[in-house]
Amino acid sequence: MPEIVLEDLCKSFGDSVAADHLNLRIEDGEYVCILGPTGAGKTTCMRMICGLTRPDSGKVILGGRDATNDSPDLRNATMLSQTYALFPHLTVYNNVMFAPKTKGWPEADSKQIVRSMLHMVHLDQKADWMPGELSGGQQQRIALARALASGSKILLLDEPLRALDARLRIDLRKELRSLAKEMGLTCIHVTHDQDEALEMADRIAIIRRGRIIQFGTPREVFDDPATPFVANFVGRSNIMTGTVVGHPDGLTEVEVAGIRLPARASDLPVGSEAVVAVKIGFTKLTKPGAEPDEEDEAEDIPARGYARGRVERVLYEGATITVEATVEGLGLISAKLPNRKYEEFAAGDTVEVSWPAAKANVFPMPDCGLEEEMRLDRWRGSSSTGSRCASATSTPSGTYPWTSATAST
Amino acid sequence: MSLMGRLDELSASFRVRRAWLAFAVVVFIAVIVVPAVFVVTKVFTDWDLVQGILDDPASMSVIEGAVWNSFSIAFIVTIIDIVVGLPMAWIMVRRDFKGKRWLDTLLDMPLAFPTAVLGISVVMFWGAPEGISIPGLGLDLSPYMMLVLLHIIFTYPYMVRSLSGILEQIDVNYETAAMTLGASKWTAVRTITLPLFRAGMATGFILCFARSLSETGGTYIALTMMGVQSSFFTGPTFISWLKSDVGSTDSPEVMGSMILISVIMIVLALILLVVVKWIIRRFRIPFDKVWPVLGRKVSRGPLPKAKDFLTIAFLVVIVLLPSFYIFMYLTQPAASIDYGTLMSSIGTSFLVAGVAVVVDVILGVPLSLYIARNRNGKLANILDGLVNVPLIIPTTALGFSLALFWGSFGAGDSLALLLVILGHISFTYPLVVRNLIGAIEEVNPECEEVAMTLGAKPFQAFRRILMPIIKSSVIAGGILAFTRSLGETGATLSISSSVNTVPIYITRLVEAGDYTEAAMCSIILIAVCFVLMMAVRALTHRRQGRDA
Repeated sequence: MPEIVLEDLCKSFGDSVAADHLNLRIEDGEYVCILGPTGAGKTTCMRMICGLTRPDSGKVILGGRDATNDSPDLRNATMLSQTYALFPHLTVYNNVMFAPKTKGWPEADSKQIVRSMLHMVHLDQKADWMPGELSGGQQQRIALARALASGSKILLLDEPLRALDARLRIDLRKELRSLAKEMGLTCIHVTHDQDEALEMADRIAIIRRGRIIQFGTPREVFDDPATPFVANFVGRSNIMTGTVVGHPDGLTEVEVAGIRLPARASDLPVGSEAVVAVKIGFTKLTKPGAEPDEEDEAEDIPARGYARGRVERVLYEGATITVEATVEGLGLISAKLPNRKYEEFAAGDTVEVSWPAAKANVFPMPDCGLEEEMRLDRWRGSSSTGSRCASATSTPSGTYPWTSATAST
Repeated sequence: MSLMGRLDELSASFRVRRAWLAFAVVVFIAVIVVPAVFVVTKVFTDWDLVQGILDDPASMSVIEGAVWNSFSIAFIVTIIDIVVGLPMAWIMVRRDFKGKRWLDTLLDMPLAFPTAVLGISVVMFWGAPEGISIPGLGLDLSPYMMLVLLHIIFTYPYMVRSLSGILEQIDVNYETAAMTLGASKWTAVRTITLPLFRAGMATGFILCFARSLSETGGTYIALTMMGVQSSFFTGPTFISWLKSDVGSTDSPEVMGSMILISVIMIVLALILLVVVKWIIRRFRIPFDKVWPVLGRKVSRGPLPKAKDFLTIAFLVVIVLLPSFYIFMYLTQPAASIDYGTLMSSIGTSFLVAGVAVVVDVILGVPLSLYIARNRNGKLANILDGLVNVPLIIPTTALGFSLALFWGSFGAGDSLALLLVILGHISFTYPLVVRNLIGAIEEVNPECEEVAMTLGAKPFQAFRRILMPIIKSSVIAGGILAFTRSLGETGATLSISSSVNTVPIYITRLVEAGDYTEAAMCSIILIAVCFVLMMAVRALTHRRQGRDA
């Protein structure tokens, strides 16, 4: 039975639309990340699930029961907020004890639960401390223990790792996910950090302007983005616009400023405007005449690139390097390469650009224009233009296949 | 099911919560705001009475004089407070020195003194009024000067508190950044920190101005001791003089005068509230220009030291010494005090103050919650503004207005005590609510939200999470309101002449020339207030200790 179903939720605050006919269906025990830019409606979506925000219209169905009008205390959906919101006047123990006490569980059981939760997050030693005396990571774990002790089957995490330092954040990703899986919880985890989402989620819902624009496994979202926006938001992409000129060999050929670029198969009609997006990790830059890499050959990349460009700068990033090159007609093209190639490139070098055709996504030109489509900033405006843009850039048929239960592979 | 359990269940209903809020709002408007300004309607319904006074040049000149005195004194006092309060706020917030805690307590002392007591003490200190056996400085000050000196004492703490409250929130890094960019300390403070002060300045200005405008007891006592109570008036003392000395409010002249001056005071005070908010929001510290050499000169060397010295000297000579001068009476042979009357008046005072504070808290909580949690809402903003109304209205005018309001429902002298309590609720309510709003805004709203997702009903979340967190602020606000009520003279006097609270008892003693007895009663009252203030300190300090 699906644990959480959101049906056509709408919510606006004055002029800004936080949810615009939002649909989502999350299975029992699934770990779902809601990923989106700031102001996309992530937090509102979650607050509607746990009952802290009332939708203007639409339904929230939890465990098969319409819970739209239930108050938060009846929903068994517990929120873990980004500030942790530990009760400052209660000890760690009493914080975790809050839910069992509120629900009036027998005292012996409650104590047992609280002890085991504290043990699970490795903080049994700190039971008598006040929240203010704990470090950020410890507070985060106490907040988690408190949520788990409530017996709720749904855990809503609002950017739970945001306030932690980078290293701890990465460590806690695994810990959080495995705890949730161990306890069989259905989790919704809101984040704007794509790495976090890719690493933790069973499925990722990309939200933008109050709508879910794609819902799929991390791999689907990364490899088969539904819109140019998703292509650039989850892993950076090189974005180029041009005209479809043909469909040779089951591919789509797009002409950009006189350069013919191959992209994966599509049913875009010849002569229509199209957007090509290639992840910077799939983009290849090679010196003219250099020996082709073995792996390049395996991926069926032509010995000569699609276009020539000039290296602008080379960024050393540790395990990888990013090379940025200007290509006439295509603009600035970036490529993420292994760091062993650092020595090969220097500013001013001539390079050839290429990519595996199957890794290049191709989309119809969005109605609202590419620039509007790619915007990351908080968006304000009437909901009508927003919906037109969002639906036009999704699948051509105008339906949302990812809201059906068959989306996961 | 227990009462709490039943309340928990009830609170789950959105309608019940709305109804409770609506009830609090209605009571707030109907019992606190409307009676406070009811007298304004009298201008229309009893126009002939007012017309009579307007046509009488003699009465008009007295009224005009009284209003002028009130507003000009309040203005001068507030300006002085700002000028000397700023460096004091700096010392309290940005400096660390031995005995800072003592200074902190001393600053609040004048708030613990009922103003009637301050009136006696100040006149004793600066002048040497007849009939008082303890010699003062013997200065021959005009009544006007004397009132300025008196009013500075009880407004100064408000100013320093509001300014240091804001200064604490202004990050010292702004100044540091300006200084690393080459500004001298003086320039940094003048061009960076001072402009950030506007909000605190507005609060301080309004608090001090309103307090000075309102003050009745101390002013009236000072004037009585100088023997000019029936020739030199401020707005509030004029009303109480009409009420207590001229007596019968039935005569049309008295009634007309009281209505006219009350309305003038209320309307001017409300206009002022709006204008000050407007001006301060638009006011810019003049002179963007920077004088680097001058700036450097005044930032170093003897000038800053002289500034600190003068600030402390002002506090000691103008504020503290005159306040404590009344304790000189302890060196005198004990007076014969009528303990029976004193105790019964203390009882009355405590009853009035206690009931007022309890009502303030019960009605103030839902309103404060609503205002604090709906900062962007229209209704919340309107309520927020309305809360200030009883604070800015002179309490004497408020009391008179309130008596007229309930009198029009037939509430006579038999209900005098109840009316006095209602009056005290009106002017203490803003103190409690302001405190509560401040406290609630500091609590992370997610705490209650998370509590609800953990299974708590709204009322459970309130009493198990929010209430324990803000408890000490509630108590602090309550005690502030309590001492304010305990020291109030004007409102009590103008509502009824039959309710004897302590300040009124002291005023009567002074009127009768029994200075020694009045002073001893004052000292007893101070002792009581002092104990309460210490309780506030202890509570707030315990909170800080736990937060750390």
